[in-house]
Amino acid sequence: MSEDLIIGIAGSGGDGVISAGESLLTAAALEGYHCVMTKSFGSQIRGGEASCRLRLATQPVLNPNGPLDVAVALNWDDFKKFGAELPVESATIVIYESNTGVAPDKLPLQGVKPAVVFSVPITAMAAEHAGTDKAKNIVIAGLLAGWFGIGRESMLAGIRKKFAKKGTTIVEGNVRAFQAGLDFTVANPLKEDRKLSAPQSGGQTKLLTDGNDMCAAAAIFAGCTFFGGYPITPSTEIMQFLDREIWKYGGTVLQAEDEIAGVGAVVGASFAGKKSMTATSGPGMSLKTEILGLASLAELPLVCVNVMRGGPSTGMPTKAEQSDLFQAAFSAHGDCLRPVLAPTSVADIFGVTVEAFNLAEYYQTPVIVLSDQEIAQRKETVDPIDTSKFQIIERRRPTGQELVNYTRFKITESGISPISHPGMVGGNYLCAGIEHNEQGRPTASGEMHARMNEKRFNKFNPLKNRRDLFTIEGDPEAPIGMVSWGSVAGVAQEALRLAQAEGLQVKLLVPRLLYPVAETVYQDFFASVQRGLFIEQSYQAQLYRLVRMYVDFPAVVKPFAKSGSNPILPSEVLDRLREMVVAIQSSQQQPEAVEN
Amino acid sequence: MSQTLSEKPIVPAVVTETATGERKGLTKKEIAADHPTWCPGCGDFSVLALYFKLIEKRKLWHEKITTISGIGCSSRFPYFVQAHGAHFIHGRALPFASGVSLSRPDLHVFAFSGDGDAFSIGGNHFTHTARKNIKMTLVVMDNQVYGLTKKQTSPTSPLGFKSKTDIWGAVDYPINPAKQAISVGASFVARTSATNPNHVLAMMEAAMDHDGFSFVHCLSECVEFYDGAFDAANPRKGGVFNEVPKTHDVTDEFAAYKLASADFPGNFGVLYKVNKPTKNAREAEINASFQSKFTGQKDWQILQKTFDRMK
Ligand SMILES: Cc1ncc(C[n+]2csc(CCOP(=O)(O)OP(=O)(O)O)c2C)c(N)n1
Ligand code: SF4
Ligand SMILES: [Mg+2]
Repeated sequence: MSEDLIIGIAGSGGDGVISAGESLLTAAALEGYHCVMTKSFGSQIRGGEASCRLRLATQPVLNPNGPLDVAVALNWDDFKKFGAELPVESATIVIYESNTGVAPDKLPLQGVKPAVVFSVPITAMAAEHAGTDKAKNIVIAGLLAGWFGIGRESMLAGIRKKFAKKGTTIVEGNVRAFQAGLDFTVANPLKEDRKLSAPQSGGQTKLLTDGNDMCAAAAIFAGCTFFGGYPITPSTEIMQFLDREIWKYGGTVLQAEDEIAGVGAVVGASFAGKKSMTATSGPGMSLKTEILGLASLAELPLVCVNVMRGGPSTGMPTKAEQSDLFQAAFSAHGDCLRPVLAPTSVADIFGVTVEAFNLAEYYQTPVIVLSDQEIAQRKETVDPIDTSKFQIIERRRPTGQELVNYTRFKITESGISPISHPGMVGGNYLCAGIEHNEQGRPTASGEMHARMNEKRFNKFNPLKNRRDLFTIEGDPEAPIGMVSWGSVAGVAQEALRLAQAEGLQVKLLVPRLLYPVAETVYQDFFASVQRGLFIEQSYQAQLYRLVRMYVDFPAVVKPFAKSGSNPILPSEVLDRLREMVVAIQSSQQQPEAVEN
Repeated sequence: MSQTLSEKPIVPAVVTETATGERKGLTKKEIAADHPTWCPGCGDFSVLALYFKLIEKRKLWHEKITTISGIGCSSRFPYFVQAHGAHFIHGRALPFASGVSLSRPDLHVFAFSGDGDAFSIGGNHFTHTARKNIKMTLVVMDNQVYGLTKKQTSPTSPLGFKSKTDIWGAVDYPINPAKQAISVGASFVARTSATNPNHVLAMMEAAMDHDGFSFVHCLSECVEFYDGAFDAANPRKGGVFNEVPKTHDVTDEFAAYKLASADFPGNFGVLYKVNKPTKNAREAEINASFQSKFTGQKDWQILQKTFDRMK
């Protein structure tokens, strides 16, 4: 029996790889399993190579990574293009298309000889039973359902729903193709039973969705009624979701001529009193920089989502990377501070996006949400959202009294001044990028500039004490501390569980608030730490370096970072943790020179 | 324009009512903010004065209008007007104005821009805001030079114009703003000159009354860096100010294009005007049709249905 199964499927774009994965995912979710599915493509628009990874488990799934339990190859050339994204080990069960002409003992995999290999005439079975080789995906679904115990009824329900519009002949053809897959597994059973154990929560009440849709839904929940943006992978689905939904709430989506216009309109709508948002990825973020700076100076609320992909420049548009943190924190001319938040999963992005709107409104500032390609496009089972858990904050508007001699940028104790909008009689002021005095009139006075900078920076002080924007897991006094963020945090969480199961004393800090750096949170965390590790997906280890700018943590805290698209595996992290235990033990035996 | 702007506080607008309870229009004192910092004799003064006149004449209240600009001498405009307004970013007045217009159909949006701001750095926005027919009025004060940065070639500078970036005379062909506006789908295109106040007011008023993207191309001389640029259109300087012929059909796109193409000084007046649905109106329809399916439901109930579809 299995508690946790990782399945990787790869082929060429037309092979139905993704739809095979999706059929399985929907059925598994319906049965009550916890599931995550990621997709990965070559950079071609159509054709090209396509793959998906599914992780199905009886316990909540923390990340999709890890070596494959099951590998399905429709052709080996495409499969191999995914390299480390689809790692095959000797324990991996390999299923492949027989018409590739490869012998089961001569698989083109370097250095591994999987023990269990099935060569299956997938295309021929599809053609025979469904009358078309398009049904390959359904044959694969049948094979996987049979060997790994996904319920026949849930699968059939999914197939009927999926093909209903195409008529009964097509539905029945696909049902036969599915059955052919199942029959194959009965005739060729696995020696060792690898079927998934029964799920702990029967019956599906979970949502099955991805990070982009969840982010957009959160924006609507938070009260966003204006979106401006320009399509860019992997963020486009946010705009598309809102374009299907926002009209119901009296809102608007503007597909602008470029990212500059997108955020320009968002600033205009915010000035006009609306909660507004834009979403983009690296190249678009670069274009938005100038206008985001104005929004900081003019103290206008807005949310800017950056769904990170590999960079610099066009980089790797279809792959995840966490390399835009420096840009999010620092890409502005002048002294400028704006909050940067990062969600860790599809479930998490809902709360993080709502928080982003709340911070934007409360502090009258742009807020950047750093999502990434993996969170954005992976499908995940999510518990139904309990919206009553979330508070919605609105910007501080002037009272009638405050509209007499209205002072837009009044220097208050909190640094937050009431903000009006067109239509408020007496509330008129000039919103501008030129430095202003309290009334909003232009100034070139050094003294006024210094006071306004102080106001714009100090207003964020309370934010650095928001400990609820951080989670700490594990023994708080542990001598080994990990820090990880974004989609990689799930890998660290899994490594933490594995380490704890071995009796290692480890703890993990996951920030949702990346910037401003909450100095005391890190200081407190590192107080007990003798060895530490920042786990993240960027060449430079950007969070590690950002935190070091503000916090003096011991030199024995190191980064463990990889460039995007090179998955970080929980087992690799576990190896590092074991090494740290040994290092601590040996340093206790003989005091070592301070590392630097 | 070396002076910095003063730090005079805004006097709050107060709603004043007449004895009959009807609200009085604003007086010039209530509309004017800082004294403009333009060079004496700058054409932009006249445009500002006529904007005030328009506000007075049409009883536009502060809370019903916004005044938006980019960056440039001409774009300092909103600083001198007491209204909700924005002095935004070089070239980006139109995106900001679009955000205001689309999210607040109750407001009339006026955007003021310069030739560099509107046609060079903001050229793409000019094209797309026009083609989308987003409701607003754009007045471009064209001095055929970069004023604020002190005399560089602009996209409307004529061939041979000697600037600090073209010391031998400009070699790039200028664009013709009115032609461009017609070709990209602006639904109202007019040409005027700051030296003819009545005409400027008439054009701004017609533009404001147009339901759609209305563009007023206003020649406005930079006395500092391009003195005499528009003398040929100024009868007081020996030029001619020819209005658009009475026989011109403003809905005839090709006729308008031809008229706009005439050599300088050409004709002044409304060159083109057609009625077609605005983006604002179409979106209001989309809103209404979506919302009619959910009458009586609270936002969270509508959102719940969306979540249910994710199951
Ligand atoms: C991104 C950016 N680039 C350059 C500038 C400098 N700049 C300010 S105004 C201007 C040109 C203004 O020319 P125009 O729009 O014709 O206005 P005018 O001053 O002539 O009224 C330039 C180049 C700027 N403010 N921002
Ligand atoms: S446009 Fe020319 S005349 Fe007008 S303020 Fe600028 S520099 Fe002076
Ligand atoms: Mg100019």
